[in-house]
Amino acid sequence: MASGASPSSFRLNSVDRHGRQINPAVLAAAEAVSSRALDYGVNLLGDAAVVANTLEEVAATVSQLIARRDPPGEPAPIRNLPGYVFRAFVRQVKRLKNKELAVLDAAIAGQTPAQRLADPVRQLEMKILVEECLAQFDFMERDMCWRRLEGFTWDEIGPVHGLSGHAAEVRFLNAARAVKANLARSRKPLPRAAETAQNEESKLAIETDDEKRTT
Amino acid sequence: MTRKERPEFDDEFNEAEFFGFAKSYLSEAFPNPQRVGCPPDCDLQRMAEHPVEARDAAVSQHLTCCSPCFNRYIEILANLKRRSASSAGS
Repeated sequence: MASGASPSSFRLNSVDRHGRQINPAVLAAAEAVSSRALDYGVNLLGDAAVVANTLEEVAATVSQLIARRDPPGEPAPIRNLPGYVFRAFVRQVKRLKNKELAVLDAAIAGQTPAQRLADPVRQLEMKILVEECLAQFDFMERDMCWRRLEGFTWDEIGPVHGLSGHAAEVRFLNAARAVKANLARSRKPLPRAAETAQNEESKLAIETDDEKRTT
Repeated sequence: MTRKERPEFDDEFNEAEFFGFAKSYLSEAFPNPQRVGCPPDCDLQRMAEHPVEARDAAVSQHLTCCSPCFNRYIEILANLKRRSASSAGS
């Protein structure tokens, strides 16, 4: 890893963390752009140590590339080595950032409902949504809501209000979506519904409905 | 997956999540220890069996702001569900 205490400029090692040697010319080029690289990298990656490691890795890769192109008869060497190293560094930082976001997505998707609802912001969003729904639903939609959260299937709920199960489901979901759309228009934060957070009874009811639909 | 490729879920309504949260929230959020404005048990029972808007609108509205009544109504609905399941089975 890089040594040196100053946050705006640092000395790089001549070997990256994978043990690959860095060509002295490339090392000098990397150190020449280290200040810009630090500014750019810390913005996206957050940690100066990670930025330094990344710059060393990029420098080692460029060194290998130069070594492969070095034999006589090959095209002319890179003309603007610092610029080349910096562009390679920017590409690598973007790659790392995308990888980090993908890992974050996977982590969010893999959270249990309890973990997701432990997030206070999410709790607030859900609270607003539930209260708005109950305030804006008409009598029938609210009654559907009571029954549904006790685990009634739509086929059980529909006939109570003189509807088919499907019609009841469509009516309720349309009403809920309308409330949610109104909230979105008023720029209140809304819940992301990527994953489920259900109690066992409503889950059971939904599964029962799904089974009926498939048969 | 990049940010651009990630799906936007904000316009979707997740039924299971909504009901899961609503049940736990409504059962605790409005304690009403003095039981102010609570309808009698028979009104809850009647609404569970035959909901009629003209008669039960106020009761249904009350459930949105009274956790004890909400819990009692859920209990009544659970009994109703059990009864209808057992009568369908016999």
